[in-house]
Order: sequence, then structure tokens, then C-alpha cells
Amino acid sequence: MTVSISNRIKAAPDVLFRLVGDEGVLLNLRTQRYLGVNPVGARVWTILEPGETIQAAYETLLREYDVEPGALRLDLDRFIGQLVEHELIESADGDPT
Amino acid sequence: MSRYRYSVYGIGVASDAPLALPAYTADRLADVECVTAAAAGPLADLTQAGPPHPRSWYRHASLPDGSTYVRWDGIGEFVVAADGQRITHRQLNASSFESFQVYMLGQALSFALVKQSFEPLHATAVVVGGQAIAFLGDNAFGKSSLAACFLEAGHQMLTDDLLILRPAADGVIAYPGPPRIKLFRAVARRFLGEAAHRGGMNAETDKLIVPIDGDRRCSHPVRLAAIYTLAAPRDACRRTDVSIEPLSAREVFFELIKGTFNRRLISRQRLERQFSFVGALTERVPVRKLLYPRALDRLPEVRSMLVADLQRLTFLD
Repeated sequence: MTVSISNRIKAAPDVLFRLVGDEGVLLNLRTQRYLGVNPVGARVWTILEPGETIQAAYETLLREYDVEPGALRLDLDRFIGQLVEHELIESADGDPT
Repeated sequence: MSRYRYSVYGIGVASDAPLALPAYTADRLADVECVTAAAAGPLADLTQAGPPHPRSWYRHASLPDGSTYVRWDGIGEFVVAADGQRITHRQLNASSFESFQVYMLGQALSFALVKQSFEPLHATAVVVGGQAIAFLGDNAFGKSSLAACFLEAGHQMLTDDLLILRPAADGVIAYPGPPRIKLFRAVARRFLGEAAHRGGMNAETDKLIVPIDGDRRCSHPVRLAAIYTLAAPRDACRRTDVSIEPLSAREVFFELIKGTFNRRLISRQRLERQFSFVGALTERVPVRKLLYPRALDRLPEVRSMLVADLQRLTFLD
């Protein structure tokens, strides 16, 4: 799956998410792989998972966190890449994955 | 027909042969029947079961009707019904009945418990000041040795190696296991003063099965105050100090997932249940990491630090 900033994404089927404290854990029931995320990652998931665009998520995070925009963009891209690698997300735009 | 009735882990166990277990109580979470198989003939048809597990003395196979066949060479073989309510068993000639019971009421029973939607933890628990503390860790991480050190100081044994927990209104409840502990000979002598003439577990280890009875064991469920995950011996071997370290919430979650008992039984349903159970446990019970040098003469110091930590937790509760 390749993603661009304008893509809307959502949780892949068979994916469970749970907030634990201010962090998060994800489980892909099909691959049986877990991913733990820090508080920022948990926040990103809760913004993106309902089908938001990555661009909108980026703008929300920029308002909520005191962070340099370039650094945020890099971290967000890296995190999205992790979610793709673990098969935890899919396109919500109807695009083929 | 099962003439003998017992309670262990909060479970009612009915058996057609006497077992070394506490008497039956009406208040129980589920039931399992243990039935002796006929002396001759195969216990299960394994022709469709696939190749044996790579570990030579252990075999585990899922059968077409949903039941599970498990065998430990020299110990016994078991068929656990698909609904987890019956264990059909056959002791193998080389084993003592003590050793056979350890495997039936631990490993084999764990298959039945998982099939009945329980999530046992691979943990040993003792009772301190009326509350349970559990030591979580893989085989040979030192859980039982640490528990023996607590017994030496007059605390009570709750369970060794398998822990059943249930949520309650004011916390989490831990249930008592069989009245015995498995210890290496040197540990048994050091902390329990036991003569080195107890039964061995199996030919692969020189661990002994040491009965725990009377005032040394807690025979009723108690509130769980904390879980301590034991660092692997290889990670602690160069340490000179004892430390109890905090864990982040997701670290706790993953330690508990790793600590679930019998990870051989994997299904979508079980993974979902574990995710929910462990997530809830993460929120309800303090979990800390325990690191200490693996020397028997350091265990009393570890014990003192754990008791002090428990007192702090109780004060903050």
C-alpha cells in the first residue's frame, strides 16, 4: 500500500486497538502481530482511524503539539509506514491496497 | 463414574481416582472431569494429526472433533475435550503418580481452562499480609525459588506456575493452586529444609515436587496486590544490585501477554479474549519489573524489597 498526504485511511479488518494508560496497543488478528505505540502514536491512531485524511491528521497534531512542522511530518510518515508494514491500515478512499 | 471431587484454581475437579487436591467447594468458576482411559489401545487417532512437535518428549495435536491430544514421554498422555470439560488420561509406566498429577493438573488442565475461556498466567503467587503477589516469568526464571524464600519467612503459598485471576468489584482475585511447589533440590534444602527424598518431576530435570500443606498454604482466593515480572536470568546475571523498576502501560501489556499460559493454543477467539483480558488487567493491577542477581543468598534481600514495595503500594491504594 502506498499513501499520500491526501489519502484517507482506516483500520484494516481484523485489527484491534486499545488505549492502555496514555499509550496504545494494536493487534492484527490475521497476522497475530502486535504493535505498541507511545502517547503520540495513540493520538494519531484515534484521529486517523475513523477515516480522516493524513493531511487533516497532520494539521490537528500541529495544533495540539509544540513541534517543528518538518519534524512532525517526518515522524508522521514514519509512523504511517509502520502501520502499513504491520498491515494495520488500509485506504478508506476505495483505492486498491 | 467420578467418585472423587476437589477444588483447585477455583475450578471443580471430579475424578475417578484420588488426587492430591483440596476438598471440593460449592463456590467454583467451572468444572472439569478427569477420567482414566482404558489400559490398552490408543488414546486418540493421530493419523490426521500431522507430524510430532519438534521437542522429542512432548507432543501436542489438534484432533478433528476439536479435542486436543497432549503427551509427555515417560509421564502420561491426555485428551482434552473440545469444550474443556473432560480430560481423559493415561499415566505412563515410567512416571510416579506425583509427577503425573503435576502434568495433569498443570499443563493438561491448562488446555481445558483455555478451552473454557480462562486465561491462566504463567506465574507463581504467595500471600503477604492477606494479599497475593505474583511472580511472572518463563520456565527457569526463578519464580518458585523466590516463592520458597517467602515461605521460609512464614508467608503462605497460593499457587505455583499457573495462576487463575478473575475481576471483582474491588480489584482482581487470585485463586489457590495445588498444594505443592516444584523446586531444585538445593533450593528446597535452603529454604524449606526438606530432605532430598521427594519425587522428581521428570527425567529431564532434577526438580522436586514438594508438598505444601497446613499453615504454609493459603487455601482460599485472595485479592491480587501486584505482579512482578522477573527479568530473564541471562539479563540479570551480571547485576550486583536488586531493583524494582516501573514499566510503561504498553510494556505492562506486553509482559502480561508474554506471561499467558500455554501459548500453543492459538486461535482468533483466544487472541481477542487475551487482548481484552490483558488490557483490563493492565489497568487494574500494578505491574513492575524485578531484576536481581541469581544467587540464593540474595533472595532474602529480594524478599525484603518486595515486601516494602507492597507496603508502599498498599498505602497508595
